[in-house]
Amino acid sequence: MLFSLKSPNNSRREGLIRNLGSTANMSDVQEAPNQLLDVNLHENWSCIQATESGPRSESEHLQVTIGATVPTGFEQTAADEVREKLGSSCKISKDRGKIYFDISVESLAQVHCLRSVDNLFVVVKEFKDYQFKETKEEVLKDFEELAGKLPWSDPLKVWKINTNFKKKKTKRKKIKQNADSHILDYYENPAIKEEISTLVGDDLASYKDEKDESSKEETQSKMLKFRVTCNRAGEKHCFSSNEAARDFGGAVQDYFKWKADMTNFDVEVLLNIHDSEIVVGIALTEESLHRRNITHFGPTTLRSTLAYGMLRLCAPQPTDIIVDPMCGTGAIPIEGATEWSNCYHIAGDNNPLAVDRAANNISSLLTKSQIKEGEVSWGLPIDAVQWDICNLPLRTGTVDIIVTDMPFGKRMGSKKRNWNLYPACLREMSRVCRPGTGRAALLTQDKKCFIKALSGMGHVWRKVHTVWVNIGGLHAAVYLLKRTPQAFVHPSEQDGERTPW
Amino acid sequence: MKLLTHNLLSSHVRGVGPRGFPLRLQATEVRINPVEFNPDFVARMIPKVEWAALLEAADTLHLVEVPKGPIEGYEHDEKFLRQMHHVLLEVRTGPSLASLATAG
Repeated sequence: MLFSLKSPNNSRREGLIRNLGSTANMSDVQEAPNQLLDVNLHENWSCIQATESGPRSESEHLQVTIGATVPTGFEQTAADEVREKLGSSCKISKDRGKIYFDISVESLAQVHCLRSVDNLFVVVKEFKDYQFKETKEEVLKDFEELAGKLPWSDPLKVWKINTNFKKKKTKRKKIKQNADSHILDYYENPAIKEEISTLVGDDLASYKDEKDESSKEETQSKMLKFRVTCNRAGEKHCFSSNEAARDFGGAVQDYFKWKADMTNFDVEVLLNIHDSEIVVGIALTEESLHRRNITHFGPTTLRSTLAYGMLRLCAPQPTDIIVDPMCGTGAIPIEGATEWSNCYHIAGDNNPLAVDRAANNISSLLTKSQIKEGEVSWGLPIDAVQWDICNLPLRTGTVDIIVTDMPFGKRMGSKKRNWNLYPACLREMSRVCRPGTGRAALLTQDKKCFIKALSGMGHVWRKVHTVWVNIGGLHAAVYLLKRTPQAFVHPSEQDGERTPW
Repeated sequence: MKLLTHNLLSSHVRGVGPRGFPLRLQATEVRINPVEFNPDFVARMIPKVEWAALLEAADTLHLVEVPKGPIEGYEHDEKFLRQMHHVLLEVRTGPSLASLATAG
């Protein structure tokens, strides 16, 4: 039986296949316009102020509460990451996609390195049981009065440090772009991560004696532009989110003498209302972090934060072989290779376009991860291959983890096709997956079809957990499966042919 | 693809058995690129290697200094690990369509 293995490369010649693996061929790679690529700062530490004693001590011990939005359903996974990387425990807003944790402000940069969070904000105040008055007028008046009573000072300090931090990045980016055509990623490089807290520390030191021109202007003029974003959920409210934002915003403007600007703002104030719970915060991220790794989008590209959550569910161990057999643009294996670089990741798809895109995304990432010309590249442990999911060219029982986004049947494929595809997928995945220790995290919106397909596979797959998620408005599920110890038996070696159901 | 990936692949032909044949490679397209050496990673990959397929691939690509099999105490043998690191992760090539076997 013939199957094709194609290379994710533009020049395809009959019989000869090249496959983009560890290092990009720079002349082939198009640098996709992408403002989400982060910038490497590490080389010019000389620009940073030497730390001085004195005015540091006050800001140094600043503790704040940070709120993070995460994919709904993965709050616990995100909390685990926070505990692992920051040592903080989290308060989880279950099924609402939010977690809260306390940090000292020096850890701020590390907070930006979290891979399970979409957006970050600093909490100004939380009201666990806000007492709403009876009429709309009274409620809105309360919001107006609230603005002047909130503890803005510390959160604004954090906001400022965060903004300076980002400003330095943009400045470096300009320097870097002139000197060097490679755009390096600040967060991706492990060697940099260690120096991150140094940067924030230096920011704290230079906070008082400003040499940086732009931030000096800011402190002096205080003419910041702002807007208020209100998210409201609950049935008993007698006001709309627009009204709350408008009136609260008006009061904020009066209090700070800031200028309101819906599109070009410096400060984004968040007013989150859920039933009788209100959280006022200041945003620390502008655009969502979730598309960070993907420079070449496909029609159904998965959020990186969701990809991270699914991978983490499988608890990857060093040198695990992790495969995404329907990788699309490669969101999952790329996230995997970045975060679990001591595992080996293989991205595969039956669509050559998808494999192309995945390879391009890998190349972009590799561009980011190279330190300098001439130095050894990190060479991410990832490869991209074209294959047929129903007949994977992988050796039996060699894959430790399978993580994939299965065709929903809405934007890709069809529901009818899923009835044949799902059982065939599960069967083939059970063959390549290592018996006993192997596991799979499979995302799908076609839950009915999946459960039915799974019901005939109890001898090889055991469902251990389900996470309910929301994908672009669709109610989907991530099924965590464990591979049973039973070895895969070839259908031809059994009595009669196994039917999918 | 890297030779490590190649080693994990096989032509899975129904009826022939779970292993199938290794993919044949063509020697025309070979690239070497430096990759940071991680001895721990390499050492743990050794048990997963299908040696026959690896040696055949190395032979086809005319690679030199390829260990013939795991040696005793390989976990601590830096020379061995570096050789394996080079072969598995730094050599890149592609398989040929024409060379895949069909069951008789």
